[in-house]
Amino acid sequence: MRRYFTRKFLIYLLTFFFAVSIDWAIPRFMPGDPVQSMLSRAALHPESATAMYDYYSNSFGLDVPIWRQYLNFWGSLLQGDLGTSVWLYPQPVSSVIANAIPYTLALMLPAILLSWWAGNSFGAFAARRKWLDNTALPFAYILNSMPYMWLGILLAWLLGSVLDIFPLSGGYGYGLQPEWSLEFIGSLLKHWFLPFASLFLVGFGGWAIGMRNLIIYELESDYSHYLTALGAPQRLIRRYAFRNAMLPQVTGLALQIGVIVAGALVTEIVFSYPGLGNLILQAINNEDYFLLQGAFLFIIIGVLIANFVIDMVYVLVDPRTRTGMRGATS
Amino acid sequence: MRSRLKLAVPLLALALAATGCTSSDNSDPEPVGSTGGNAAVGSYPRAETLYTTGTQYGPPSNWNPLMNWTYATGTVGLVYETLFLYDPQADKYQPWLAESGEWKDKTTYELKLRSGITWTDGKPFTADDVVYTVQLCKLPSSTYSTLCTWLKSAEAVDKSTVKFTFSKANYQEWANWVYNNPILPAHLWKSRSENETTSGANDKPVGTGPYKYLTHSQDRQVWVKNDGWWGAEQLDVAPKPKYIVDIVNGSNNVALGLVLQGSVDLSNNFLPGVSKLLGKDSGYGLETYYDKPPYMLSANTAWLVTNNTKKPMDDPAFRRALAHAVDTQQIAKVVYGDMVAPADPTGLLPIWDKYVDKNVTRELGFSYDPAKARSILADAGYKNTDGNGMVANKDGSKIKLTLMVPNGWTDWMEAAKMIAQSAKAAGIDITTATPDYNSLVDSRNSGKFDLVINNDQQMSNTPWTYYNYVFRQPIAEQQTAGNFGRYSNAKAWKLVNELDATEVTDLEGMKGITSKLQRIQLTDMPIIPLWYNGLWSQYNNSVWTNWPSASGSNHYLPTTWRGYWQLDSILMLDQLKPAAAKK
Amino acid sequence: MTDANLMTVPDAAADPARRKRSEALYFAVRNPKLIVGGTVLVALLLLAIVGPYLTDNPPNDYVGPKASPPSGDYWFGTTTFGQDVFSQFVHGLRTTFVVGVLGGGIAALIGMAVGFTAGYRGGRVDEFLNMVTNIVLVIPTLAVLLVVSAYLKARGVLVEGLFVGFTSWPWAARAIRAQTFSLTARDFVDLARLSGLRTRRIIFREIAPNMSSYLVMTWILLFGGSILIAATLDFIGLGPTNGTSLGLMMNNAVLWSALQLGMWWWFIPPGLGITAVVGGLYIMNVGLDEVFNPRLREL
Repeated sequence: MRRYFTRKFLIYLLTFFFAVSIDWAIPRFMPGDPVQSMLSRAALHPESATAMYDYYSNSFGLDVPIWRQYLNFWGSLLQGDLGTSVWLYPQPVSSVIANAIPYTLALMLPAILLSWWAGNSFGAFAARRKWLDNTALPFAYILNSMPYMWLGILLAWLLGSVLDIFPLSGGYGYGLQPEWSLEFIGSLLKHWFLPFASLFLVGFGGWAIGMRNLIIYELESDYSHYLTALGAPQRLIRRYAFRNAMLPQVTGLALQIGVIVAGALVTEIVFSYPGLGNLILQAINNEDYFLLQGAFLFIIIGVLIANFVIDMVYVLVDPRTRTGMRGATS
Repeated sequence: MRSRLKLAVPLLALALAATGCTSSDNSDPEPVGSTGGNAAVGSYPRAETLYTTGTQYGPPSNWNPLMNWTYATGTVGLVYETLFLYDPQADKYQPWLAESGEWKDKTTYELKLRSGITWTDGKPFTADDVVYTVQLCKLPSSTYSTLCTWLKSAEAVDKSTVKFTFSKANYQEWANWVYNNPILPAHLWKSRSENETTSGANDKPVGTGPYKYLTHSQDRQVWVKNDGWWGAEQLDVAPKPKYIVDIVNGSNNVALGLVLQGSVDLSNNFLPGVSKLLGKDSGYGLETYYDKPPYMLSANTAWLVTNNTKKPMDDPAFRRALAHAVDTQQIAKVVYGDMVAPADPTGLLPIWDKYVDKNVTRELGFSYDPAKARSILADAGYKNTDGNGMVANKDGSKIKLTLMVPNGWTDWMEAAKMIAQSAKAAGIDITTATPDYNSLVDSRNSGKFDLVINNDQQMSNTPWTYYNYVFRQPIAEQQTAGNFGRYSNAKAWKLVNELDATEVTDLEGMKGITSKLQRIQLTDMPIIPLWYNGLWSQYNNSVWTNWPSASGSNHYLPTTWRGYWQLDSILMLDQLKPAAAKK
Repeated sequence: MTDANLMTVPDAAADPARRKRSEALYFAVRNPKLIVGGTVLVALLLLAIVGPYLTDNPPNDYVGPKASPPSGDYWFGTTTFGQDVFSQFVHGLRTTFVVGVLGGGIAALIGMAVGFTAGYRGGRVDEFLNMVTNIVLVIPTLAVLLVVSAYLKARGVLVEGLFVGFTSWPWAARAIRAQTFSLTARDFVDLARLSGLRTRRIIFREIAPNMSSYLVMTWILLFGGSILIAATLDFIGLGPTNGTSLGLMMNNAVLWSALQLGMWWWFIPPGLGITAVVGGLYIMNVGLDEVFNPRLREL
C-alpha cells in the first residue's frame, strides 16, 4: 500500500514538472514581445521608448538567454515567487491571482460537486422509471449538449436583460463595500448565481445521463438478476447498483475536471465575473508571460490535486483496486 | 443538508476573501456610512455617487501617475494635477496649479505657481515639487526622458516661481508638456529609487486634486471627494459627486447593459448600436454629446498605414489610388452606425480645422471614387493582366495585400472587411488578417506588414504632435511610436521641427508651415486618413444631469480616459447636477 | 462536455465476439433514441450541405437592411451590419461538422493508438503513455489552445480541428486502454500470442474488432466534444479568422450587444444549432449502446 502511494506520488511529481515546463514554454513561443506591446500603449516620445524598453526588459529578466530564463523561472518558483505581472505592473502575480481565486473557487467547487451529486442522484432515480426517463432525460441531453457560454448567454438574456432579476456582471454590487452584512452577502450571492447556474446545469445533464445508463447496466447484470430471483427487495438491488455505478462516475469526474475548468473560465468571461477566466484572457491579450504562467500553475495544481484525491478515494472505495493496485486513473 | 454545506464553504471563503483583501488594501479606511448621511453602512449613496466605466480593463494595479498607460482611472486628474488645463475646443490653456507662465526671452520660461495649495498630507505645494517633477526626465525609464535633451535647467527662484532655461526652445512640445504631466510631491518622492519612482505601485497616492483614494477591488476603483481642495476656493469649481466609482470593463456589451440600466452613469466604451437607443422615445435616458451624427466628439484619427518600403506601396500613385478606393462613408454608416465621421483628406481632427488649408485640399484632396482610383492605377502603369479584375505590379507580378487589424477589435475587423471589399471593386486585391494584438505590434513596429489601421495619436494642443506622428525621422529598426509606414522625407521632417519651434501664439506662422506639410502629405500620401474615432461617451441621466453637450452650458469633454482629465474633463464634474430626487 | 461518462464503460467488449450484424440492424431501426438522434443529425447535415445553395447571400457580405428581425426575405433576420443570419448559420453549420469530424477523428486516432499500446503492452510503456496522457489531461487545454491559436496568423477551420483533436484525446485513451486491458487477458488473445502473431496484428485482428462498437461510440463522443471545444474557442474570438462558424456568430452577437439590443435572432440560432448537433450525437450514442448491448434494450 505504501509503495503504491509513493509511486503514485512520484508520477504526479513528474507530471507536474513536465506540465509546468510546457506552460512556461508556451507563452514564450507566442509571437510578439510583451514589453513592446506594453509600451505601445504608453503615451511617450519615440526616443524615450527605447530607453524604457531596455529598462523593462531588464526588470522582467527578459534580456537573458532563454535557457537562463527557464532556470530562473524554476529558481524563483521554488521560492514561491511567480514574478511580476506585465499587464498589471507592478503587482506581483501571486497577489493578482490570490485576489481572483476566491471567486473562481466559489464558482467552480460548488458547481462541480453539486452537479455531480445532484446529477448522479437524479440519474439513479430516473433509471428504468419510464415517465421520468421520457420526460426529464431529454432535457438532460439538451443541457449536456449546450455550449457553456450559450447557456450563460441565454440565462443572462432571460433572467438578466429581459426580466432584470439578476445582475449581468461583477462580483458584488458596484455600490457596496465588502463587509459582513446581509446586504453585501446577498449581493455576492446574486452575482454568483447565474454563472453558477450555467455551470451547474450543463454538468447536471451530463452526470444524470451517465448515471442513468450505468444503473441500467447494473440492473441488467447477472448479480442483479440473481438477487431478484432470490426475492431481494428492489430497493436493495438499486442500492447495490448505485454503489457499483459510482465507480466509473468517480473516474469520469477526474477525467472531466480539465474540461469543466475550461468551461468555468469561459463562463466567467460571459458574466464578467472577477475570477481567473478574465485574467487569463487579458493575460493572453497583453502577452503577460508571468500572469499566464501563474494562472496555469494554479490550474495545474488544482487539477492534479483533484486527480490525486480521486485516485485515493477510488482505492478506498473499490476493494478490487486495492489488491490490483491499479487505481482509477492509471 | 450535505449539499448545502458544500455550498456554504466556498461561499464563506468568497465572502471572507472579498471582505478581507479589499479592506486590507484600504490605506485610508474612511467609514463610508458615517459620512454618507442616511445611507446604509457600507454602500455609497446613489445620489452622491458617479459610476463610470470605459478606461480600466483590468484590476487597478497602480496609482503611479508616471505610468501613463496603466495607472488606475483618475490617478492623474482626480488626484494628481497638472500645471495647466487645455481646452481643445476653445484652443485655450487654463492655468491650473500654475497661476501663469510666460516666455521671458527666446529660451527662458518663467512659471508662477498658485499659493495656498496643499497636498492631501497637509504639506504645501511649492516650486520644489515642480522642479523635482521636471527633473525626472533625467531617469532613462521616464516617459519624458527626451525633455532633458533640450531643457538646460529648472530652478526654483522662490517658493512659487520656477525658471526654466532651454538649450533649444520647442515651444509646441513644451506647451504640450505643461498640461500633460502631473506634478508630484517632492517631499514624499525624493527618497524613492528610480524603480520605485517610475514603476512603483504608489498605492497610497498623495495628490493635490479634488479626489482622494478610498478603496479598490478586483473590479472597481473608488475615489472620494477631497473636501479641502484648493479649487473650490480659488476657482469656484466644485465637482458634484462625492464618490466616483470606476468599474473595470468586462466587455463593451456588458457596459452597454450597465448604462442602459442606469447602474453606470458615464460609459466611455465604444457601444455599437447605441445611436439607436438615444432620444426620449427610447425610454433609456441615454445621451451623447451631439444628438445627431456623429453623436461623439472626435478623439483621434484612424489611419490606413501603408508600408511605404514595400512594393507597390512605395509608389505615391498607388497610395493615392488606394486612398480613392476606400469607402469611408460606408464604414461610418454601417460599422459605426454613424457614430464616427469620415476624416478630412488631411486627417486633421475637427479641433484643428483652422489649420486645414482649404486651397490645398481643394486642389489635392480625395474622396471615395473607384473610377478615379482605377484611372490613377492605369495611368501609373498598374494593369489588369490576368483578367481577374485585379491589377498587377508594373513588372507583372501579382498584387496581393494583407490588411491587418488586431483580433477582437470588432469594429476595426468589420471596417477592414469593408476596406478590402471596396478596394477590390477598384481592382486592388486586399485580404484581411486578424492576428493577435501583440504579434501585430511586433510586425508593425518592425515593418513587416502591408497595411494596418492605427489611431495612436490622440487629440492635443498642437498639430505638431500629429505631424510628428506622420513624418517622424529617422526610421529606426523598431518604429515604436509613429511613422509606422516608414515614410522618409527629410524636407517634411525639417518642417515638423520648424513647427515645433514656433511659438503657440503665432497662429499664422503655424498655419504657414502646416499648409506646406499638407501639400507634401496630399501629394505623397504617406498615410491614408480614414475616419475620426469618437471620444466614445454615453451618459445615463437618471441620477446626474446637465451632461456635456454641444448645446448646453456643459461643453467639456465627457470622458474618463487617461490623459483627458487635463483636457478639461475635470470641469465636467463641476457642471453635473443631481437629477430631481425621485423615489 | 466531452463526456466519458455518457458511455457506459463496463461490458462493451464482453459480449460474444462477432455478434450477428443483422441482429444489430434489427434493433437499430427500432431504437427510438437512435432514430431521433440520427434524424436530427442527418437533417442538420443536409441543411449544412444544401443550405448554402438556398441563399444567394455570401455569409459575411452586407446584403440586407441592418438588424432586421426574421422575415420572408431573411429567414433568420440580419445582423447589425445587414449580414444574412441564415446564410451565416448554414455556412457555420458546415464548419461545425468539419471541425467535429476532423477533431473527433484525430482525437480518436491518437486515443486508439495510445490506448491500444498502453493496454496491450502494459509495464513501462503503459506507465510512460500514462504519464503523457496525464500531462495532456492536466494542462488546461483550453488555455493552451488559446495561446496556440493566438500564435497562428491565419487560422482556418482545418487548423482549428487539428488542435482540438490533439488535445481532447486523453479520456478516450484511458477508456480504450481499460478495454484493451481486459481483452488482453482473454483466452483468444493469449492464443494469438502463443501462435506467434505480431503485436500490431493482434491489436488490429483480435482486439480492435472485438470492441468496434465501443470505438464507434468513442468517436461519436469525441465528435461532439470537438464541436463544443471549437465553439468555445470561437466564442473567445480565437476561431477561424476568415470564415464563418457558429461559435463566431455567437461571439459577434455578444460583442455587438445583441443581448442588450434584443436581437435574439442573432444569438439563438447558432447556439441552438450546436446544441442540436451535439445533442443528436449524444442521443444517438446512447441508442447505439442499446443496440450493441442487448441488456440495455428497453423492456
